[in-house]
Amino acid sequence: MAALNINQEQFREMIQGDKPVLVDFWAPWCGYCRRIAPAYEKIAEEYGDRLAVVKLNIDEAEQVTDEEGVEVIPTLILYKNGKALDSVVNPGSKAAIDQFIREALEK
Amino acid sequence: MSEPHVYDMIVVGGGPGGYTAALYAARAGLDTLVLEKLSAGGQMALTEQIDNYPGFEEGVDGFTLAERMQTQAERFGAKTEYAQVDRMDLTAVPKVLETSEGTFYARTVAVATGANPRELGLPGEAALTGRGVAYCAACDGMRYKGKTVVVVGGGNSAAADAMLLSRVAKEVILVHRRDTLRATKIYHDPLMQAENIEFRWNSVVAELLQDGKLTGVKLRDVNTGEETTIPCDGVFISVGRKPATDLVEGQLTLDRSGYIVADETTRTNIPGVYAVGDVRTKPLRQVVTAVADGATAVHMAEEYLAGGE
Repeated sequence: MAALNINQEQFREMIQGDKPVLVDFWAPWCGYCRRIAPAYEKIAEEYGDRLAVVKLNIDEAEQVTDEEGVEVIPTLILYKNGKALDSVVNPGSKAAIDQFIREALEK
Repeated sequence: MSEPHVYDMIVVGGGPGGYTAALYAARAGLDTLVLEKLSAGGQMALTEQIDNYPGFEEGVDGFTLAERMQTQAERFGAKTEYAQVDRMDLTAVPKVLETSEGTFYARTVAVATGANPRELGLPGEAALTGRGVAYCAACDGMRYKGKTVVVVGGGNSAAADAMLLSRVAKEVILVHRRDTLRATKIYHDPLMQAENIEFRWNSVVAELLQDGKLTGVKLRDVNTGEETTIPCDGVFISVGRKPATDLVEGQLTLDRSGYIVADETTRTNIPGVYAVGDVRTKPLRQVVTAVADGATAVHMAEEYLAGGE
């Protein structure tokens, strides 16, 4: 399953559920964001049954980006039951994203 | 237990050198795998515009060029695994690569792990990366529109970064530990003439000041020891590159700067192991020299696999 592009309204609704949601705060002009995209797609494939793996373009979601305190991108945040479990800024490898998800789910 | 799959060639690192090796290997009929930890391109992926790779008269964006190199290699059958290599045994038969996605085996290995920007090694530097500390003006420069930035370094890349930032930022302060630039002469005049570039010679950054984000730097004069504080929004560190050779240390011969010792043949001290691209000792580190290494490595690997070398 590919990582789904969502908007602010979908974001607000999705993060309330008990299925964990992994959100990539990104923007089309951000070079570092493009670099994690292939690995992020792979994550979406591998974790698709356990997590909703989504992307939020910060240029189209200024309000949520402010509310969530995202100041640098790419930032990944894992949500469950309306709460942010943990976040990571600019992970350097697919392995680093794997590790982030595992540790965040244990919290 | 079933016999493990043994690739003819595993390429470690998916930059331009790595994917060219994969292209040549796949076209030569070798069973080929690329291990890449994040995405194709390496340092090139963060270069917005490449104007010295022939065939693109309008220039080409590094990320796009990398994706095309990957697609081209995969069209001929090369595979990619997004894996972080943790350990390699290069003298074993077959060679063993332990990664985040499992263990892989190969008859030959092309090490194309590249180089990364060198850090200053100051406390807080890693945590502030992306929060005021940056290593690539072309990537992050636009964030500092109308702001004050410090550039650290005196070589060509520091000079190019300072020029680029002077067109975006309000003020650029170039900090260099010597009293003159090491950069090529063509940079000197434009830098001196730019109205918003200030020079701080014989100075090093002693401390990064922060409140969660970078707020300034403390400079130390290398002659007098005198310290001054400069408030700024960003610091661009441009003090050279460091080869990514931690993984092969103790197995492959490295030079004093950490690059893998190999001549134009790309052969290393271990048979069947080749050093491709920026990671190899060479006079010029460019995309064009990296791709040349990729092709040569496969030529040498074919000889090795045929029982020659």
